[in-house]
Amino acid sequence: MGYDMELTALILLPFFGGIAALFAGRFGRDAERWVSIAALALALVILILAFLTPGDGRWIAFERFDWAPSLGMQVILAMDGLSGALLVVSLALGIVSVIVSWKITEHSGLLNAALLWTVAASNGVFLSFDLLVFAFFWELMLVPAFLLISVWGHGDREAAALKFLVFNAVAGLGLLAAVFYLGASGEVVTFDAFEVAERDIPHGVQVLLLLGFAAAFLVKLPVPPLHAWLPDAHTQAPTAGSILLAGLLLKTGAYGLFRFPPMLFPEGFATLAPWGMVLGAFGSIYGALLACGQTDAKRLVAYTSVAHMSIVLMGICGGVYFSLMGAGVEMVAHAFSASALFLLIGALYDRTGTRDLRELGGLQQSAPRFAAAFAVFFSAALAMPGTANFLGEALVITGMFQVNWIFASITLISLVVSVVYATRLFKRVVFGKARRSGVVEDLTAREMGPIVLLAIATLLFGMLPQLLMGALEGAVTAALAPVAGP
Amino acid sequence: MLSPYLLLLLVPSPPLAAFLMLGLDPFFLRRRAVQVLALLGGVAPFFVMLPLAAVCFGGECHGVVPVFTLAFGQSEVALALLLDPMSTLVGLTVAAVGAMVITYAIDYMSDAGVADLRRFFALMNLFLAAMLTMVLAGDTITFFFGWELMGLCSFFLIAYNTGLPQAVAAGRKAFIITRFADAFLLAGLLLLFLEANSVRLDVLIPAGATMTEDRHLVIALLLLAGALGKSAQVPFHTWLPSAMAGPTPVSALLHSATMVAAGAFMLARFSPIVMSEPLVQAIAAAFGVGTAAFGALSAIFQTDVKRLLAYSSISQIGFMVLAVGLGAPEVAIGHFVVHAMFKSLLFLAAGDITHGSDLGTSMKAMRGAARRRPVAYVAYVAGAASLAGVPFITAGWWSKEAVLSAAWNTGPFGIAIWALAFLTAICTAVYAFRPVLEALLPEPEHRSRAPHGHPLALNLHHRARIGSGFITVPLVVLATGSMLGGVMVAPIISFLGAEVPHAPHLPALLAAMAPFAGLIGAAALTFVPSLAAAVEGAHDMRRPTRLDHKFQIWVIEPYIRLIRWLSRDRRPRDADLDFERQVRLIRWLSRGARMDGVYQALVVRPFVNLVRWLSGHRGGGVDPVGSAPVALALRLTQAVVGPLAHDRFDRFWMRSANRLVRIWVMARAIQTGRSRDYALGLALGTAALLVIAWGTTWN
Repeated sequence: MGYDMELTALILLPFFGGIAALFAGRFGRDAERWVSIAALALALVILILAFLTPGDGRWIAFERFDWAPSLGMQVILAMDGLSGALLVVSLALGIVSVIVSWKITEHSGLLNAALLWTVAASNGVFLSFDLLVFAFFWELMLVPAFLLISVWGHGDREAAALKFLVFNAVAGLGLLAAVFYLGASGEVVTFDAFEVAERDIPHGVQVLLLLGFAAAFLVKLPVPPLHAWLPDAHTQAPTAGSILLAGLLLKTGAYGLFRFPPMLFPEGFATLAPWGMVLGAFGSIYGALLACGQTDAKRLVAYTSVAHMSIVLMGICGGVYFSLMGAGVEMVAHAFSASALFLLIGALYDRTGTRDLRELGGLQQSAPRFAAAFAVFFSAALAMPGTANFLGEALVITGMFQVNWIFASITLISLVVSVVYATRLFKRVVFGKARRSGVVEDLTAREMGPIVLLAIATLLFGMLPQLLMGALEGAVTAALAPVAGP
Repeated sequence: MLSPYLLLLLVPSPPLAAFLMLGLDPFFLRRRAVQVLALLGGVAPFFVMLPLAAVCFGGECHGVVPVFTLAFGQSEVALALLLDPMSTLVGLTVAAVGAMVITYAIDYMSDAGVADLRRFFALMNLFLAAMLTMVLAGDTITFFFGWELMGLCSFFLIAYNTGLPQAVAAGRKAFIITRFADAFLLAGLLLLFLEANSVRLDVLIPAGATMTEDRHLVIALLLLAGALGKSAQVPFHTWLPSAMAGPTPVSALLHSATMVAAGAFMLARFSPIVMSEPLVQAIAAAFGVGTAAFGALSAIFQTDVKRLLAYSSISQIGFMVLAVGLGAPEVAIGHFVVHAMFKSLLFLAAGDITHGSDLGTSMKAMRGAARRRPVAYVAYVAGAASLAGVPFITAGWWSKEAVLSAAWNTGPFGIAIWALAFLTAICTAVYAFRPVLEALLPEPEHRSRAPHGHPLALNLHHRARIGSGFITVPLVVLATGSMLGGVMVAPIISFLGAEVPHAPHLPALLAAMAPFAGLIGAAALTFVPSLAAAVEGAHDMRRPTRLDHKFQIWVIEPYIRLIRWLSRDRRPRDADLDFERQVRLIRWLSRGARMDGVYQALVVRPFVNLVRWLSGHRGGGVDPVGSAPVALALRLTQAVVGPLAHDRFDRFWMRSANRLVRIWVMARAIQTGRSRDYALGLALGTAALLVIAWGTTWN
């Protein structure tokens, strides 16, 4: 474990890239976008190099240095396969979001900065093992996302942004309180998650602290009944914002739940996990049912996110190997497929000015490439074998059969309902005759780039599961049997 | 040396490659190129299968080709393709039928635009690749992959005419219902995996047979449910007749050798697991024979050739499920092979005859077929004879006789099943020959009245030429197979390692008579005006012009009496009511026992209502669960902040301020403005000061 700075760079590069993008607009047309892409691409290269250097088995890379020693604050950054996979997702979706907002000229410097800062903060979440720093990044994430919705959003954007902020900030307080308690309750003040994990915390306290953590994670995930912010935020956000919300912010909730409860509060987690599964089972059906009833295409996809993330929650709370692995795979898979659907609907909205399912239609005839792209991610949304989404859901179901067959059956039912909403979306958008939307111009090369990237990712991880599952192995085993850090 | 089994990997590859090239379309292919690619992709698997089949028939028929191995946790998942007698036979059949159908489609679809053509052939090729993958799969994951991919392709293919709402609805219906059944299959396969800790069929099926009792039963039932849904067996059958909204080649491919037949294949594949449970076996046999009878009865009363053939598929696959239920999966595979040939033939021939007709695919469009399309008509007759099971000279007789004999040999219970299957065979012959005889009737008048220069007339003229080789060759090949394929049935069954079941002479003789009884029935339904009108009248509710007297007495009268007796109806006879009853039965049958309506009432309507209620269309709030915490938070905020809104500190300060004002008002009274008041004040003040001064010096 040298004193490398690669993980720090993964956070700081997007952050300073964002600051650079803020001012780059003065030096040339689209300079801020190129700066953003360069920063993210550089970070991606660093990440890949980190993957290639041999780690110590459990961690691919590990960094630790003091920040504010008097407060017991350190910077502990550690990356294993789970964080690594999510970092790939975050950087890739960052690039995608920069590309899809290419045409937005209004405050474009700030827009790119907000995108990059969202990426930087979520990278911090995925890497931090000092709980206070984790909580810091957790709250930091909200600011650029709030900006994205409220400045560049559609429709009733201020209200949606406020709803997003209030839900998440309030829930974040639970996390913060639990973190402060954990930090202060030991002999020395420390927020080091590995040290905290060693402590013997009484069972009742564990449950209370876990509720604090879970509040933040479950709202971010989100699982019904805590999901009310999501449809509004997704619908009113600009396309890039929806992509980052679905692809990144939701995953931070799942990541937190995957990482910390089993590590810090194993007994408390065992007590609460069945309730988590109940919530997840309920959410997987509820989200799917509501997706069937939406008329706004973006809202429909937003509710499918609720359903899929509820399945992730179920997998994590299942606590057996298969379900945890499935949850991990589903997190990554959903990040790609949901962002791609948001991208497509955003592109459609740019052309037609509507997302109303009753007014769209006829893409098959007027825009065959558009239709084909929809078909690919339509298959992913309904978990067709061969997509990573199927892998994730099948693994969760397998795990659920080991835990309790009722939860497995409920997940299967939600899979069936997913066909109903997916075919409905497809019928209304791709089939039929163009209604008010008229003839739609086909996808341009700039739009095809990200789409192809996301399609390849979805199919690659589905067809060669070893890529993703091998990376997740360490984190899954750790969540099964909590182990101390190095 | 490379194993010859490596060729297995090449079997699904050509159609997959064709799909990729057509689907991604990097070269902006022109019409001719699209057709060539489609043809190559569709026909190549057959020629790859041939050497494999040669190896297999040569006796070395147990090859496993690992695709890749996936190790995670304590499990190892090994994906593989498998060559054994069953996969060889079915793979060969599927490849052959796929090749024929795609060849046929080259000409049949030649009117479509290039973009549609590309989409059509891309999907057809993908579908074929999926089916071949499923058939050759050596593990449950590959198997399920092919199985689901077929479902997905069926959605796109049935909804090929994306402008037609009923085609899109039919595609959705097919996809949703089969996906519902697939959930059972997935559950069964995952449980099998957990039980045996392997996905390889060659490991799992022996392991599956030694599982604990209740687990075994559950898995067998789940697999059976999955098969019934995919194979459109009662009660899942409703999607298949609707699926006829797709183009004819789609129906020919999906509803003969692939898709619907996949369920029967799956049951045969997993028969060691399914069939070691007597209960599941009995259920399978009951569903099989029940569906066979029901499908045949419903088929009789169809007025649309494609719907008739759809119900026929339901019925024929019922025979295969029955055979598996009787513990003779080899016989089921035999019937699978023969059915694939004659059913695809029937679809293709009927499609060719009715193509371009302004009557669509209704039975009337068959009229005059012998004159217009002699090759197609002869092919149709061959297919119908095979379907009806005309003894000895058709393949259908041999395979169906094997199923019937297997039933007869299963003991007393089996004889009851045989009886039902025998009646079904008669009904089969009735509906098989109905279109054949209908074609002999004169063409309806308005067909010939289509004006020249009308696009439809031009189209008809165009279609009236003798079909090109693309159409003739598949018809001739499949017709030959449907007639002469009978010699293959016994070798197929023994190749799969089973004895050909033989029934005693009497039932065999009876069964041999069934097609002729059916022919008479078909003639009655076609040529006797009253019956033809009854079948027709069931659909458009028109009173027939004239009821034929003899059939009124011999057929309809007993039925009416039976109904009256059953319902204890003692009222005087009413001609309208009688006719109504007759029509009602036929309509009930012709609409597939109205299961659509039942589903509509029991599943679709409640589901839609629930969704509408949840999304706030029915008085309820939008997203009730999601808005509950928000409402709760607002209520709480009000409860806490409300009392504080009258801030007590604020009140204290405000009250103090008010008091100050009052003091100030009082103080203002002193300011009178008169000098004598001020002088008085001065004096008083001075006096007071003096008093104080005096007081301080008191001591």
